[in-house]
Amino acid sequence: MTDSFILLPIAIPFIAGLVVLLIGQRIQSVKEAIALLATAATLGLTITLFRENINFSIPWTGFGIDFALRLYHFSAFILVAASAFSFLFVLYSCSFMRNKPRLNQFYCYLLVTLAMTNGAVLADNLVLLLFFWEGLLLTLFGMIAIGRPGAYKTAIKAFVIVGISDLCLMMGIGLTGHLAGTMTISKISLPTYSLGALAFILMMIGAISKAGSVPFHTWIPDAAVDAPLPFMAFLPASLEKLLGIYLLARISLDMFQLHGNSRLSMLLMTIGAITILLAVMMALVQKDYKRLLSYHAVSQVGYMILGIGTCLPIGIVGGLFHMINHALYKSCLFLTGGSVEKQTGTTDLAKLGGLWLKMPVTFICFVIAAASISGVPPFNGFYSKELIYDAALVRGNIFYLAAILGTFLTAASFLKLGHAAFLGKISEENKNVRETKLPMLVPMVVIAAVCVVFGVWNYLPLNNLIKPILGEERLAGQEFGPNSMLITITVIVLVGALLHHLFAVKVSGSGYKASDHIRHAPFLEGIYTKAEKRWFDPYDIGLKIVQGLSRFGWWIDRAIDWVYEDFAVHIATGLSSIIKRAHTGSYAMYVVWSLIGVLFVIIMLMKSF
Amino acid sequence: MTINIILGVSLVLAAAWTVMTARLLRSVIGLALTSMILTIIMFKLNSPLAAVFELSVCAGLISAIFISCISLTQRLTDEQAAAKQKERFSKFWLLPVILVLAGVALYQVHIPLDFHLQAAPSESDVRNIIWNLRHLDMIGQIVILLAGAFGVVALFKD
Amino acid sequence: MLSPLLLLPLLAIIILNLPIRSLTQKLSVWVGIGLSLWQIVAVVLLAMGHESADAWGKYFTLGLSCDNLTLVLLMSIGIVTLATILVGWQTIGGEKQRFGFMNLVFVAMIGMNGTVMLADLFSLYIFIEVTAVASFILIAFQRNTNALEGAFKYIILSATATVMMLLSISIILLVVGDTSFAAAGSAVKQSQGNPLVIVAIGLFICGLLIKGGVVPFHGWLPAAYSAAPAAASVLLAGIATKTSGIYALIRLTTSVFANNESVNSILLLAGTISILVGAFAAIGQSDFKKMLAYSSISQVGYIILALGCGTNLAIIGAVFHLFNHSIFKSLLFVNSAAVETQSGTTDMNKLGGLGTKMPVTNATSLIAFLSTAGVPPLAGFWSKLIIIIALWQNNLHTYATIAVLASVLTLAYLLLMQRKVFFGKVAEGLGNVKEAGWGITTAASILAAITVGVGVTFPWMFNSVLMPISSFLK
Repeated sequence: MTDSFILLPIAIPFIAGLVVLLIGQRIQSVKEAIALLATAATLGLTITLFRENINFSIPWTGFGIDFALRLYHFSAFILVAASAFSFLFVLYSCSFMRNKPRLNQFYCYLLVTLAMTNGAVLADNLVLLLFFWEGLLLTLFGMIAIGRPGAYKTAIKAFVIVGISDLCLMMGIGLTGHLAGTMTISKISLPTYSLGALAFILMMIGAISKAGSVPFHTWIPDAAVDAPLPFMAFLPASLEKLLGIYLLARISLDMFQLHGNSRLSMLLMTIGAITILLAVMMALVQKDYKRLLSYHAVSQVGYMILGIGTCLPIGIVGGLFHMINHALYKSCLFLTGGSVEKQTGTTDLAKLGGLWLKMPVTFICFVIAAASISGVPPFNGFYSKELIYDAALVRGNIFYLAAILGTFLTAASFLKLGHAAFLGKISEENKNVRETKLPMLVPMVVIAAVCVVFGVWNYLPLNNLIKPILGEERLAGQEFGPNSMLITITVIVLVGALLHHLFAVKVSGSGYKASDHIRHAPFLEGIYTKAEKRWFDPYDIGLKIVQGLSRFGWWIDRAIDWVYEDFAVHIATGLSSIIKRAHTGSYAMYVVWSLIGVLFVIIMLMKSF
Repeated sequence: MTINIILGVSLVLAAAWTVMTARLLRSVIGLALTSMILTIIMFKLNSPLAAVFELSVCAGLISAIFISCISLTQRLTDEQAAAKQKERFSKFWLLPVILVLAGVALYQVHIPLDFHLQAAPSESDVRNIIWNLRHLDMIGQIVILLAGAFGVVALFKD
Repeated sequence: MLSPLLLLPLLAIIILNLPIRSLTQKLSVWVGIGLSLWQIVAVVLLAMGHESADAWGKYFTLGLSCDNLTLVLLMSIGIVTLATILVGWQTIGGEKQRFGFMNLVFVAMIGMNGTVMLADLFSLYIFIEVTAVASFILIAFQRNTNALEGAFKYIILSATATVMMLLSISIILLVVGDTSFAAAGSAVKQSQGNPLVIVAIGLFICGLLIKGGVVPFHGWLPAAYSAAPAAASVLLAGIATKTSGIYALIRLTTSVFANNESVNSILLLAGTISILVGAFAAIGQSDFKKMLAYSSISQVGYIILALGCGTNLAIIGAVFHLFNHSIFKSLLFVNSAAVETQSGTTDMNKLGGLGTKMPVTNATSLIAFLSTAGVPPLAGFWSKLIIIIALWQNNLHTYATIAVLASVLTLAYLLLMQRKVFFGKVAEGLGNVKEAGWGITTAASILAAITVGVGVTFPWMFNSVLMPISSFLK
């Protein structure tokens, strides 16, 4: 097997994507076939490459920037996961996206996204990484924009937010390259003080915003409504998590010497904790299937960041394990949402209910994935969260409390979602709903099965996939055994969530309204109301809850918003109007400007010669 | 020396009058006057060929064309002329100010003006240069003439 | 192969204007397309080394010369002229008018081709004037108040530039007795510190800065670009002012002023001011073409900035950006022509939602806008990247930072344009708008394909095409 095979995981989907784009609107099956074949080929290829170690490099632009790719166990693992997910989503889309407009663009963006992701994961050069990373920005824009009419607004919002964080990444890469004296990732190992810390933070912003952490998440819930559903399962739920957390792990493990008890570690854990709580609070009160899920896609990132931020081997293992688990159960959840949408035509929880008899397979998949995300033993989410709890507890009780509170609220919101969508009374319109078609069921079932396998036999992924990433010496002397006290607490919390749900259902009368008492709690009501009216971005509500300073948080939000939206614009328009006023249109004035310019040039030349 | 200064100053004054006066006819006369002073200067600078061109083409031919053209237009009334004059002054009052400022600025930066230039001798005759050595410029000038003709056709002919 | 580039268009003009108008009027467009295509092919042949003996050279002493910089410019001239002719074919009504337009384009083509091929200050002046005279008439072509005013402003400032350049040439002639680039270069080198020569250098630079529309010498540019007929703005903004101002500046700073540090510091300053003033002014415009005009000022600023940096890499960046700019800015003006002809206005407040009505225009404008803003992997990204790297390597960190930040501004105003014109709801009264005719869409597609193609193949281009450009720097 030659080294240049490493180019194929990038080239195959990219070329296939371009080919799909050229195929006319009417020939759907050909497009589906090409997309399926390309992703299947990529998947097969990445599996055969899985155990290889390849360093590949050709000269590219000069200045020490080579087209350098590196395949080793970590990147190979992400590569396989990304290709597998892509294959399943294409399969799912064959049924879900049928007869939707702009199908060629959809498949093109999907395949190019896979190519770019593979490229970014394989890149062993910072500039090359940035190249693929920015490519993803374009496909992200495109994928949202081809959603329902009016999705352009959301696409632009995503473009701006992701663009700003990519700009941070770009500056971080520049600074890192400058400090390290090389752009080759595998040769970089920087200390994290003074400028090094700045470089770390800049690159970290790029990484966690790709993963969808607070405060860079606000486009995700909007996209959940506007973009085509497989997009949600594909990017925010799985591929972007894989990529963002991959980069975060790379910079914290390899490129920078990050130590526990440092401020940077504290910063990461704080971001993680805030992300968990804030997003889950928003998720709890959502009344739409997809929006609720999208807030959880944000919330769960918090666990991964928290885990990696602890800088403890057990926490990092937990964070990475949670990354793959999350990609599994969250994409499964989105796919169940897609099934429900396809069959009933709506994702509004008020109109759903009682579907479990009509769509049993979807329901079972939902139950497994929901149990995973809530951390119910013995599903996979339970084990990865358990590792993270363990590490968080070492670093500080407050982080553990945040994590366990997050689990409680997650469980509560999924009980509500499941109850409202699948249990209860069925509505008149949904009397004739049937189970979805096979191409949509297969991906769900496969992913749900993997959830169970990764849970019950959790040592399989842990020993084969996750632990090699950290290496032998870091794991030496580390215990990964179950901590009975933590398990007990978790179980108590979960039972508490169940009791809370039952109580709430009894009081309010239906699963749909199970979170209404939180929604209308005296302190939270005002905040939620404002949030729903989009007075401010949700992440500030989190600030308020954490700080208990509602007004202050609102003010911060306005200030940030003002800086984003008004201040920069005002400065620009102000300067612009001054310049505009100077251009009176009088040619005499223009001649005068030119003469002053000439005078200035000549004096300057005279002075300096 | 004195005569040179007088010529230079009168050249500037004639040019300024050409630009500032409101009536076209006076403007043309100013232009002819400017050309004539320029002719004298060129002659004094040992360049009789250029002086002859300047006098015959700029002072003579162009002025004649302008005057015959202006004779076809309507004459301004005195009020209109006064108004135009006022408008022009209000537009250009900045120029002398800038001129003075430029002078002050140049004076402030102490430009050394005591230098001598040895004019390089020209090896060949003007006619030889124009007709035999610079074909490229000839082509350029022909094309400019063509462009002018197209301009007249495009802008003034219906 | 060089003199035909100059003489064939001249021959074409003469033949077309023989008194057989009824025949030639119809032919003029095809002759134009043929000429520009032939120019593109000729450049490719020249680049590959097929420099056959100059058959016409026997009869004329033209003294033309050709290096890699010339080839890049000849290529851009060919491409942009082709686009101009295609757009003019579609947008200029009336056979007679179109015929006049084509003649003027040929004149401008001679002017530009001459400008890039000669090696003499006085000839440079003459050919810049050829381009300028053709431009005056092209701007005034529609004969309404705006057009005449725009042309008048250009004439006045252009005349100022002419006076300065002539004065400068006469000083240099006085010092060395010759006006060829080589002689002028040695004169500049020998008479370091001679105030008269310094004045000559300053005046020539200022003259070219006026021609190129660099702040604060740019007063004529917005009025001229926006008043000109759509097709003429493509030519003007895309290549005419770039050749007569910016190309000449590149040529002179490298071969006559020989990277003089004082000259470079002026260029750095002028470039930065241009970038900022152009970008900020563009944000505030509500007229499509005016915004593009200011954007042009801002992009020219990048070229001047790179030129001021002076290293080989920076000059490669400047030339590359000059090429890219001529492509993507012509593309944007072609799109504005499409919008103008189809909707009848260029006021962005009255436009909106044309994206669904004009898919080709929408897509190509998106490409041009992303390329202008420097989004990878399009061509504009690479040239800006080279410029910024060169600035950084030369320890000009402040300028490099400004250049990076200004590209955010570029993104902002072009996004604004794209949103106002193409996205959103269809504006009132534009319900029946259709895609522009095939001439415009062909031109737009060609230019967009070049932008994408150059960007995607950049890694290959860098070593095989771009690095050799620096050979003209000796």
